[in-house]
Amino acid sequence: MSPDQENHVTADSGATADETAEVTQVEVQVRVSRFRVRRHTGETAEGTQVELPAAPDVPAADVPSELLAQSLGQYFQAWRLRIRSGDSGILPVIGGIVLVAVVFQIVTPEHSFLRPSNLVFIFGLSTVYMVLAMAETVVLLLAEIDLSVGAVALIGGTIAFKLVQQPGPDWPWWAGILAALAICGVIGALQGALTSRLKIPSFVVTLAGFLLFSGILIIVLGGADGFVNLDSSETNQRIIYDLVQGNIVPVASWVLLAVAVVAVGTALWLRAASRRRQGLVAPPVGLTVVRIALVAVIGVVVVLICNVNRGTSLVTVQGLPWVVPIVLVLLGAWTVLLERTRFGRYVYAIGGNPEAARRAGVSLVGIRTWSFALCSATAGLGGILLGSFFYGEYSTNTADPGQLVLYTVAAAVIGGVSLFGGRGKAIHGVLGGLLIGAIAYGVSLLNLGEYATPMEYILPGAVLLAAVLIDTQSRRGTGSVTRV
Amino acid sequence: MSDVTANPGETPMGTANAETMVDLTAAHEAAAEVDELLAQSLGQYFRAWWVRVRGGDSGVLPVVLAIIVVAVSFQIANSKFLSAQNLVNLFEQSTIYMLLAMAEIFALLLGEIDLSVGLVMGLGSVIVAELVQPGRNWPWWAAIIVALLACAAFGGAQGWLVAKLKMPSFIVTLGGLLILEGVAIIVLGGSLVGIGNSQYTNEVVIFNIFWGSFSPLVGWILLAVLVAAAGTGFWLQDARKRRHGLETAPRSLTAMKIVLMAVAGIAVVAICNFNRAHFGVIEGVPYIIPIVLVVLAASTVLLQRTRFGRYVYAIGGNAEAARRAGVSLPAVRIWCFVISALISAIAGVLFASWQVSLTTNIIKAANSYVLLAVAAAVIGGTSLFGGRGKTIHGVLGGLVIGAIYNGLYLLSVPSQWIDVAVAAVLLAAAVIDVLSRRGAQRQA
Repeated sequence: MSPDQENHVTADSGATADETAEVTQVEVQVRVSRFRVRRHTGETAEGTQVELPAAPDVPAADVPSELLAQSLGQYFQAWRLRIRSGDSGILPVIGGIVLVAVVFQIVTPEHSFLRPSNLVFIFGLSTVYMVLAMAETVVLLLAEIDLSVGAVALIGGTIAFKLVQQPGPDWPWWAGILAALAICGVIGALQGALTSRLKIPSFVVTLAGFLLFSGILIIVLGGADGFVNLDSSETNQRIIYDLVQGNIVPVASWVLLAVAVVAVGTALWLRAASRRRQGLVAPPVGLTVVRIALVAVIGVVVVLICNVNRGTSLVTVQGLPWVVPIVLVLLGAWTVLLERTRFGRYVYAIGGNPEAARRAGVSLVGIRTWSFALCSATAGLGGILLGSFFYGEYSTNTADPGQLVLYTVAAAVIGGVSLFGGRGKAIHGVLGGLLIGAIAYGVSLLNLGEYATPMEYILPGAVLLAAVLIDTQSRRGTGSVTRV
Repeated sequence: MSDVTANPGETPMGTANAETMVDLTAAHEAAAEVDELLAQSLGQYFRAWWVRVRGGDSGVLPVVLAIIVVAVSFQIANSKFLSAQNLVNLFEQSTIYMLLAMAEIFALLLGEIDLSVGLVMGLGSVIVAELVQPGRNWPWWAAIIVALLACAAFGGAQGWLVAKLKMPSFIVTLGGLLILEGVAIIVLGGSLVGIGNSQYTNEVVIFNIFWGSFSPLVGWILLAVLVAAAGTGFWLQDARKRRHGLETAPRSLTAMKIVLMAVAGIAVVAICNFNRAHFGVIEGVPYIIPIVLVVLAASTVLLQRTRFGRYVYAIGGNAEAARRAGVSLPAVRIWCFVISALISAIAGVLFASWQVSLTTNIIKAANSYVLLAVAAAVIGGTSLFGGRGKTIHGVLGGLVIGAIYNGLYLLSVPSQWIDVAVAAVLLAAAVIDVLSRRGAQRQA
C-alpha cells in the first residue's frame, strides 16, 4: 500500500550492486549529521514478498499442476496439493458459509434459517456487500485501498433515484442508472488520478474522499433529514424498485436457467474443444462435464428454492429475484475482465510487483486510474441495489458510509482477497459478502434480546479475525509470509 | 535503504556511481550550513531550520500555518471566533481528536494502523459511566483505573495478534473494532447511562473532568510552577551538557524557548480566566488542558528520550534492520498497541464526561472518530508509512479539525459541509507532504 512501492521493490528482493545503486538514487536524502530514520521499507518488504505466488507443484513435481492435468484424477490430486501448500482459494469461505448455515439452522427457533423465504432475503441483504466487495477487490488487487466505496455507493443510489423522480427530472430508468454510474466512475477516476499521478497514498486520498462524499451525500439528499423514494406505481420507477424486490415468474425462471446453463455449457465445451484442436493444454473432458453439471445442479437448486411461495396463503410471492441474475452477470463481467483481458493481467502484475510491471511497459497510472473508476462505478450500482432492497427509499439513515466500507473490506478479505495486492478474484467478494449477510440475518433470527445488536458486530469481527488467522497460519512455512 | 546509510562516509564502494556522486556534492553543499543540533548561535539555528524546511522536512510548520489560515479566515467571517469564550469552546471540541490522534500515532509510527481507537474510547467511556452508577457506586478513581486496564488489555491482545501471529494490523483492528462495538453495547446494557446526577459524588467527579475548571488564581499559580519547573529543567540540562563538553543549543535559544513558553502559557491562562458563561460565572483553565498537556509531554518524552522511543522509530524506519540490530519487534509492537489503547481509554473517560449520558447510538458514533483521528495525525504531519511523526502532530492536527468544526458551526453551516472542509484540509496536507518530499528528493 506504499506509494513508493515501485522504488523499494528491487531493494527487497534482489540486492545486486546495480540494483542497490538505482534504489539509492531515489532514496538517498542527505542529512549531514542528523541521524534520523525516516524510511519505511519494512512495510513494503512485507507487502511485496508476502504475495510471491507459492508454486503449487514444487513439493511433488511428478504430479502435474491443475492446468496441465490430463485426467479428472490428476486434476483433483493437483487441487489437493495446491490446498495443502496453503493456496486454498475459495475453500475456506465456502466452508465458512456451510458452517454458518448449519449452525444457524440448528440454533434458530423452529430451525428456520434455511427456509426459502429466509434464503432469498439473505441474498437481498447481502447484495450490497457482494457488489461493494467485488468493487473493492480490484483496488485491493493493486495493493491499494478505497475507503470511499460506501459513500460513493450511497451517492450513486441517491442520484439514480433522484433522476427518475416524477415530478422532477423524470429520466428513463436506464438513463438514470447510467448517469449515476458515470458520475461515480468520474469520482473514482479523480481519486485514482490523485493516487497514481501525485503519488498520494490511496488510504489518504480515499479517506478524504470518504469524508467529502459523506458530506456531499447529505447535500444531494437535501439536508440531514432529506430523503428520496421511488413510487412503485410508476412503471419507470417500478423497474428500479424491482431490481431487488421484483421476481421473475417461476416458468420464466426455469427458461432463464435453461438458457444460462446451455450458454455456459456450450462456451466451456467449445473453448476446451478449440484448445484441444490447436494442440494447447486443455482441461480433461471429464472436468468440463463435471463443471457444466455443477452449474446446472446449483442453478436448479437456486431456482427451486426461489420458486417456493414465500408470501402468505393470500399473497403469492415466488420466483427468482431479479437481483440474482444481476449479481451473476456482474460477477461474470468482473471475472472475465480480471482473468481473461489484458487489463486484468496488468492489474495482477501491478499488485504482484509494480516495478516489474512498469519495466514490462505497463502504464501504472492508466491501470490504477481505470481501476479506481471501475471500482467506484460498480460501487454506484451497489448503492442503487441497496436502495431497491430498502423498498426504494433513501434517507440519511439508510446506511452509514463508514460502516459500509468497513464491512466491504471485511467481506473481501473474508472471501480470500489479500490486502497486499496480487491475490484475489471477484468471486471472493461475492462469497465474503454472502457470509457477512448470512451472519447478520442469522443473528437477527435468534431471540437474543439485548444481545442481538452486539452480536451483529461481534460475529463478523470474530469471523474476520478467524479468516485472516487461518490465512496467515496456512501460508506460514510455504515461504510466502516473510514479515519480520 | 534508510537515510542513515546515506551518510557519505558510509557509502559502500560498490554503489559509488554517478548518482551517489551527485549525492556527495549535495552533501558538501549542505555541510556549509550547520545542522540545528550543532548550531552555535540563534542566527545559525534559524538558517539551519530554514535549510531543513526547504529540504522537505517541514515538521510542524504546515500545520501551524494551517491553524493560522483557518483562524484568520474564520475570524474575518465571524468576529466571535477568536473571542475568549469561543477559544475555550474550540479546545473542548478538539480534545477528543487530539487524544485519539496521539493514540493513533503510536501505531502509525510503526507503519501499522489502529482502526479501533474510536471504539476503545467507546468501551472506556461505557465502563467508567457504568461503574460510577449508584447501583455499583465504585469510587471514581477505581472506575477510571479499571477502564484504562480493560482497554490496555484489549490493545495488548490486538498487538499480540499483530506482532506474534503476524496478522495485518488493518484487519486485526478492523475485527477488533467490530467486536468492541458489540462488547461496548453489551456493557452499556441497552439502556441510557448518565453521569450528570449531582447527588452522587463519584458521578460529579467524572462530570467535572471535562467540564470543570481550576479557579483563576490556581490557574496562575499552576502556570508559574510549570514555567519555573520546565525552565529550570531546560536550563540545567543545557548546563550539564555544556559541562560535559557535548553539543549544546545556544543559550539565547534556550532563553527564547522558556520566554515563548511563558508567553503562550500566560495567553492561555488569561483567555481561560475570562468569564465564558451566559449566566453566572464559568472561568478558569479547564482541567482538560493539563490533561492533554500531560499526555503530550509523557508521550513525547517516551518517544524522543527513551530507548523504547528510539526502537519505535527504528522499526518504523526499517523493521528488518531493527531486528538485526537486536530490537525485540514483538515486544515493541505490543507495547505500542497497549499505549495506543491506553491513550484512547483516557479519551474515553473524557468522552463519557463530555457526553454526560451515553446511549447505543453514541457508542456506534464513536466509530466515526477513527478516520478523523487518522486524518488529524496526517494533517499534523505524521507519515502513514511509519518512522516519521511526533505526538505534537496529533495535538495540532486535532486542533485544525476542531477549529473547522467550531468555525463552520459558528457560521451555522450545516454539518455536512464540515466533512467536506475536513476532507479538503486532509487532501491539502497530503499534497503538501508529497510535494515537499518530492522537492527533497530533487535536491538530493
